Amino acid sequence: MGNLSRQHIVETVVWLAMAAVLFVYSFEFNQSGEIYPPGPSAWPRAVIVLLVLAAFGNLYFHHKNGDSLQEGRIGLTRDDETLNAQRSLGANLRIGLILLLPFVFALSLKPMGFYSAAPLFIVGIIVLMGERRPMAILGITILIYVLLIIFFLVLLNANLPQGTVSPFYDISSQFLIWNTQFHNWLGK
Amino acid sequence: MIDNFLAGTQALFSDPFTIFIFICAVIGGMLFGAIPGVSMLTLAAIILPFTGALEPAQAIMLFAVIYCTGTYGGAITAILFNIPGSAENAPTAFDGYPMTQNGQAGKAVGSAVLCSAIGGVASALVMMAATEPIANWAISNIAAPEIFALVFFGLAVASSVGGNTIWKGWLSVILGVMIGTVGQDPIDGVNRYTFDFVDLAAGIAFVPVILGLFAVSEVFTQAEKKAVGTYNAPKFSLNFPKFAELWREKVAVLRSILIGFFCGILPGIGATLAAFMSYGEAVRWSKNKEEFGRGKLEGVISSETANNAATGAAMIPLLALGLPGGALTAIMVAAFEMHDLEPGPLVFWNSPDLIWVVFAAMFWANLSILFIGLLETKTILYLLKIPFQFLAPLILLLATVGAYLTRGLVLDVLVMFTAGIVGFLLRRSGYSMAGLVLGVILGKVGEGNYARGMQMMHFEPFSVSTGYFGRLAPIDLAFTTIYLPIGLLLLIGGLITLAASVWAALRARPSQMS
Repeated sequence: MGNLSRQHIVETVVWLAMAAVLFVYSFEFNQSGEIYPPGPSAWPRAVIVLLVLAAFGNLYFHHKNGDSLQEGRIGLTRDDETLNAQRSLGANLRIGLILLLPFVFALSLKPMGFYSAAPLFIVGIIVLMGERRPMAILGITILIYVLLIIFFLVLLNANLPQGTVSPFYDISSQFLIWNTQFHNWLGK
Repeated sequence: MIDNFLAGTQALFSDPFTIFIFICAVIGGMLFGAIPGVSMLTLAAIILPFTGALEPAQAIMLFAVIYCTGTYGGAITAILFNIPGSAENAPTAFDGYPMTQNGQAGKAVGSAVLCSAIGGVASALVMMAATEPIANWAISNIAAPEIFALVFFGLAVASSVGGNTIWKGWLSVILGVMIGTVGQDPIDGVNRYTFDFVDLAAGIAFVPVILGLFAVSEVFTQAEKKAVGTYNAPKFSLNFPKFAELWREKVAVLRSILIGFFCGILPGIGATLAAFMSYGEAVRWSKNKEEFGRGKLEGVISSETANNAATGAAMIPLLALGLPGGALTAIMVAAFEMHDLEPGPLVFWNSPDLIWVVFAAMFWANLSILFIGLLETKTILYLLKIPFQFLAPLILLLATVGAYLTRGLVLDVLVMFTAGIVGFLLRRSGYSMAGLVLGVILGKVGEGNYARGMQMMHFEPFSVSTGYFGRLAPIDLAFTTIYLPIGLLLLIGGLITLAASVWAALRARPSQMS
């Protein structure tokens, strides 16, 4: 096993599994074109071969050098202090929730709309980032929300998701009505 | 040329409404470039529908100015928050962000202001003088085989930037190229890796991917640091660089201008490769290579000079050939079409006034970076005082709006957050975000040009008559003309870079840093 750790093996397995799935799926569009005989699958397959070679190269490097970085590299990105820090269950839970919350927010955009989902999202992120003072949470939420409304709705008239479910759709409609009334008032 | 430039300047500054548009574009480009989570592309995409009501010269000038000032504005977020405004600012973050962490944010931003202005003004001047002859040369000598060779060379260079090992650099680039294959293939239009999602037929939109990989993954990374208690707030400083410090980097500035202009002029490549190549060359020529990536001023200077030097050059393929060099110049094509104009050689004949208003506006916009940029920078540096838990939701929401407005699809928001998680996981494992992004951009360009190039060479790329060996381009020197196979030389350069990096990886020794 050399200097390989479980993480190195998992990393390689993920790359190879991805390559396998992409290769198998490439048969869905494996056809020879009239204009371009190699067809649409040739380029992705060549890239998959390179992916497999690089994954094995990476495995070989770790087999030889363990978890070390390569000498002379530029723009190194790994943060060993954070990676090696002691983690409590609470810390891991917080990280997991921060990763999950944006997806919940994105999925709620269609039914709830931006105007109703955004304040809840702001509160959620601030709390998960460790802020506990209620007035700070409330104040910053209102400030960010108002700034976004002024910038994107009032100034740019951007078409943001309005929601499909009542009462969220009604809330969005009310915002749009207020915006139209405000622009009409400015026009007068 | 001077007469045309003066006429363009007069046309620009004689109409109050045109002046108003110019000022709005200068400030808007800088602000959108500087606000974390949005970019000049967001601004350009939002205002595009409204520019139909403007005069053609005003509309095209508006986007050209946003391009110049937005390219600089993206450096501010790259330096302060490790969030490049766009891909061309990615190498700026390599040394700019460590400088911020070392309490040298003012010095990094100050040099970015100065070098962006120098690079942009130099590029604008060369652009005005050389547009026609260079365009004529490129039209007859740069085609798909040469562009593919340049993409290959660019990807080989990109793999050596970022990533803790050469293999991780390559895996990042390859993953980017793979992402670029999603959607219709560039020759036959066959759907690939769409998994029956109709919205994926047009491919994965670039803006959500870049927002996810840089803005969202940065928020996740900082959130993890806060959760495990290793978060360090960036230090605040306003110590701008001294003239002597910048004068010491004059060679790097000159080299970056040349690289920026060379890369910017080639269709489909633009400022991104310019910034990466310039950064890579700065490292290659440096005696203290290990200092790069840890807060070296030369890294910021090289990247920022080159990407702004590419803005003027990028207008040449757009105006002379009708080929956009990047996302913003692609939006400009749409602006041309909205006014029933077609970018290409005919514009020089049909609308010379428009061309010179745009050229003059780009010159003055780059010069204004020097003055407005310094004023704005002082204001933006105060953003560092805001605690990250309050900045994080703002960044995520701005990114959400930016991703959504790209095509009006919630799918793009999901793609952005997915890219954010992928970026977060890859970054903590030592992969290169910049390499990944460059892979996405250049992969698409590379495939199309590879296929077209192979057709042009009758699928015999190494044939003496029709292949790379036979594709000789004339280069006029002082007393003679030499003929060089540009594409072949670029391919050989890419192969040497690739072979050298693989050799280095096989003989690699562990770094003292670990």
